[in-house]
Amino acid sequence: MYASAFQLAVVFLFAASGEWVAERAGTLNISVEGMLLAGAFGAALGMHWMSVGAFGLLIGCLAGVLVALVQANLSHRLTANQFVVGLALNVLVLGLTAYLDTVIDLGRAKAETLTIPLLADIPLVGAALFARPWPGYVAYALVPALWFLVFRTRWGLEARAVGERPQSADVSGIDVNARRRQAILVCGLTAGFGGAFLVLGQINQFQSTVVNGRGFIAIAAVIFGGWTLRGTVIGCVVFGFVEALAIATRVQRYSIDPFILEAAPYVVALSVMLLFATRVRQPRALAQPFVRGLT
Amino acid sequence: MAGGAAVSVRGITKRYGDVVACDHIDLDLRGGEIHGILGENGAGKSTLMKILIGLVGPDEGRVEVNGRAESITDPQRAAALGIGMVHQHFSLVDELLVWENVVLGERGRLDRSAARSLVTTIGDRYGLGLDPDALVGDLTAGLRQRVEIVKCLRRDPAIVIFDEPTSVLTPQESEQLFAVLRIAVRDEDKAVALVSHKLDEILAATDVVSILRRGRVVDSMVTSAADARSLAQAMVGRPVSLRGSAMTLALGIIPDTVSDTTSDPGRGTAGHSGIGPDEPDPPTTTTSSAAPTTVRPALRIGNAVITRRGRVTLDHLTLDVYAGEIVGVAGVEGNGQADLVDLLSSLVALDDGLVEVDGVEVVSGRAGAMGAAGIALIPEDRHDSGCVLELSVAENLELSDLGRGRAFGRIDRAARCHHAERLIAEYAISCTGPDAPLASLSGGNQQRVVLARELSGHPRVLVAAQPTRGLDVGAIEFMGQRLRTAADNGIAVLLISSELEEILHLADRVVVIHAGRIRGDMRRAPAPEAAFDIDRLGLMMGGVVEAPEHV
Amino acid sequence: MNDRLTVPALYVASIGGAIVLSALLVSVTGGSAFAVFDALVDGSLRSPGAWGLTVTTMAPLLLVATGAIAATRAGLVNIGQEGQLLVGACFGAYLAVRLPGPGPLVLVATLLFAAVGGGLWAGIAALLKAWRNVPEVLTTLILTFVSFPLLTFGLRRRSLIGDRDTTRVNHINSGEQIPFDTRLPDLRIAGNQIDSAAILAVTVAAVAIYVLERTRLGARIDVLGLNPRAAQRFGVPQRPVAAGVLVASGCFAGVAGAVLLTGGTAGDRLSFGYSGNYGWDGLLVALLARNRVLVAIPMAFVFAALRTGSSFLATTGVDRKMTDVVQALLVLALLLPAAIEYVRRARGGRQPVAADRPGLGRRLAPVGGEVV
Repeated sequence: MYASAFQLAVVFLFAASGEWVAERAGTLNISVEGMLLAGAFGAALGMHWMSVGAFGLLIGCLAGVLVALVQANLSHRLTANQFVVGLALNVLVLGLTAYLDTVIDLGRAKAETLTIPLLADIPLVGAALFARPWPGYVAYALVPALWFLVFRTRWGLEARAVGERPQSADVSGIDVNARRRQAILVCGLTAGFGGAFLVLGQINQFQSTVVNGRGFIAIAAVIFGGWTLRGTVIGCVVFGFVEALAIATRVQRYSIDPFILEAAPYVVALSVMLLFATRVRQPRALAQPFVRGLT
Repeated sequence: MAGGAAVSVRGITKRYGDVVACDHIDLDLRGGEIHGILGENGAGKSTLMKILIGLVGPDEGRVEVNGRAESITDPQRAAALGIGMVHQHFSLVDELLVWENVVLGERGRLDRSAARSLVTTIGDRYGLGLDPDALVGDLTAGLRQRVEIVKCLRRDPAIVIFDEPTSVLTPQESEQLFAVLRIAVRDEDKAVALVSHKLDEILAATDVVSILRRGRVVDSMVTSAADARSLAQAMVGRPVSLRGSAMTLALGIIPDTVSDTTSDPGRGTAGHSGIGPDEPDPPTTTTSSAAPTTVRPALRIGNAVITRRGRVTLDHLTLDVYAGEIVGVAGVEGNGQADLVDLLSSLVALDDGLVEVDGVEVVSGRAGAMGAAGIALIPEDRHDSGCVLELSVAENLELSDLGRGRAFGRIDRAARCHHAERLIAEYAISCTGPDAPLASLSGGNQQRVVLARELSGHPRVLVAAQPTRGLDVGAIEFMGQRLRTAADNGIAVLLISSELEEILHLADRVVVIHAGRIRGDMRRAPAPEAAFDIDRLGLMMGGVVEAPEHV
Repeated sequence: MNDRLTVPALYVASIGGAIVLSALLVSVTGGSAFAVFDALVDGSLRSPGAWGLTVTTMAPLLLVATGAIAATRAGLVNIGQEGQLLVGACFGAYLAVRLPGPGPLVLVATLLFAAVGGGLWAGIAALLKAWRNVPEVLTTLILTFVSFPLLTFGLRRRSLIGDRDTTRVNHINSGEQIPFDTRLPDLRIAGNQIDSAAILAVTVAAVAIYVLERTRLGARIDVLGLNPRAAQRFGVPQRPVAAGVLVASGCFAGVAGAVLLTGGTAGDRLSFGYSGNYGWDGLLVALLARNRVLVAIPMAFVFAALRTGSSFLATTGVDRKMTDVVQALLVLALLLPAAIEYVRRARGGRQPVAADRPGLGRRLAPVGGEVV
């Protein structure tokens, strides 16, 4: 069960860490669900064309970025409502991928398992953590990379400034909406990768229901983590376990009601918002569009 | 000591619609010199600075930097030319650390250790101690300003502009700031401009001072040759007003027969701030008002205390306004006026104290309560809480009735239209009709809509906050007339303004607000010299009277 | 003025673009665009009984949209209609099978109880906002995803909404069938069967238009959304009114859920995925109608037409999912003109009025009198 928990956690992680970046920059990116799905489809498509896992990943990432491009430019260049765009994009990607799935016969898409010697022998968790399909290991690198991006680079500093006080950032000479668009693109990249991993590393096939709300769990994970990266990672791990548990109980008919497990990530996120309302700080300008109208 | 002119401004003019913000301004900023730019709010100081820093472009005139005419198109260009400004608002991100804020907006790789040491280096050089790893949101106003200063100085500008820097500083912090300016000027030959409306700091910190009024430089002098009185008079204006001689301001002196309210907070100020019923009426002229004839004040604010985020904005503020008089509350921005207005707008609740209209207490903070109690209000920024741009003129004229009546009651559109047409005619509002969106009206006409609505509700009290800000001469006249008429009709008028001329023009009685309290109280002198002691007022606004040892 | 010409032109271009794109997609993947278009029109309008079905489908969409519009006009961001609808349907189903009495009475009670359910669900978000200032955009969204497993939970329990008739084969996955006489009656017009829910929805919409445009409450809601400080100043207490409108919009969605149940468009018993995206679509209708109920009516009709039309696509060999694509493209296309106009106006230097009125973006309040 640890294996499946890890797998699921990794998918969440790819999506949630990108969404974390996007939300730190002040955008509430509902289309992360669509990005995941696009990534999944892209991976299957890539495998279909080239039969190489890496290529599938590449196409998956590109697909995620494509969705992000549409979202970013509509909502943060043309000032369309970001929720409408997000919702519409989710529907669009869902419909499009499902439709294309019926038209193109996509075969199995699988990435090989890569076992790291020694580490894989750690009891209990070793196999789960170190004997996984190779794209999963990227997650280990992704988290520190994103942390570095947001906290140690100029881009990250500006992105954070833009998510907290866009007016101050604007006065300091930063292009607010450009940073926000870029943050959304980062999310598209990682979520696309996540969707690709979902197909390549887990389900091994594309179905239109493959994502099934995981994008929204990613959003919940960011909230759970109080908009910190560490918290988001923990949230993803927790939610990964929860979902793995839900699957296990369904299969083995334990007495824990699956409803509780299904709802758990969301209820937990809600509780975090409620209980820690004063301490958990969301980015001050989250979901508030920026228009320079007040100079 | 003073070198050649680092920045020369020639004939700079900037208009916003009908209002001339800068009117052919000529100014020189020289290296090694601190140049004070003095003027009330609305005098054009901020616009001039915005032009220098590249946020706004002039309509006419030119700016020369080191002898060459330059076009300053944006803040980056200004920075490239060596012009830096320490902002008043809006430049810091509270949620970031000090060093992060200092390097925000630069280009190039982010070097954390270099940035941190930069903060300490610059801090040491100018005597501005700062912890690079502190969270800006945790800092006091004084420390935050240090961050702003360090952020500005790290680029080593040759010309540094300080925009109203001491408005939120304590006297001690102000001293430290002046020391910083001295260092910048003496050791590094920078040209420093200090924009302010505080007399004492101009006197203490500058070498030269230019005084702006209504967009023009009206005087320029060496600071050592100036004193508070001459500066105050220059700031406020000669008897000849731009608005013509319809109302003249004669100068005079009146002894203040009541003691200063600062030593007696809370209780007992009722007798101080007002005129007792047994005091004889001063002889009246056409420009001064009759003494209030009622015993009970129409508006009483007693011991009001408001605390926002740990800062006390109203500090046991007590004020009485009687029917038929215009009380002017003079004071530098940021001394509690905003919360006083918010209080009377039902937008904030008191932590302590009370508000009474005609002796009946009004619940503070309850939506619409103040309005329902008879307090009409013309806010400083009408877009903030005075009107709704997207609605029509007629709808705006009826806003005061918004909270009244049954929720599902039908709005009588015909009556509303009729009512609007009446007011449009009465107040000469220029618009295409009652259904015109408010946004389509000019600023002056929007203000008339606000005025019309507030006055038509037969209020007991009228509060006007900066009512003539941003208006042209004709609109100012109109507003003044209306306020006067209101007072003559028995309304208690409270005029809150940081423009001294506005207050002097209209008020019968003037109090000064400083650090959340009402201090000082003056009435117009008896005729024929129906006027106020301007000097004293200016000094009180600057808080100079507060700490005599600083004078 | 140039403006008046360009905006409609933009809409035409935008929608045209969406249609062309969809047609291209169909052609590229081997279908016939004309056949698809034909099938859509057939399914939604032409074939016998089609347009009646479309109007029936329109009803819940319009109900949801009306509530969403009210919320947006009050300055709220309620994106949880899908969940509010579902919970409303659950409440309605619970009552419908348990309440004794004459059919019509039970029907009305069902609709009302469903409103309560939807209102309660939105009320959780309203409470969190009023009490702890948690932004409703997050809470309503999250609550939607709590409602799905809640449905599953309820369906498993006969004490809740599970089927008490255990002899049925599929009884663990769907709810109890509601009594026959608690269904909404149908109207028969010109050979079409139209659910009276459509009348209900249009009536509700008309009432909403009246309330929003003509009553004091509507004025208060408008001012609250446009300028909360002015609202507070003139006697509209921000928190209670905002919370009330949020709950009300949930009630609308709840009724829509009951309409689905008693109107038969989604089946007369609850099942997984019962909400069928009616909530999301209703929200989209509202946003695309730029918060005007009058525009929402035809917009809801268009969305409904896409739904009913898609059922005919099978004959063309093109998958039903195509309509989802078309719908999404249409939504995006409808967003573009307003957005472009807004950007153009802002670049022109004039004070831009918000792209939707009041709009789902916080109005930036001017801070600290910036002096001249």
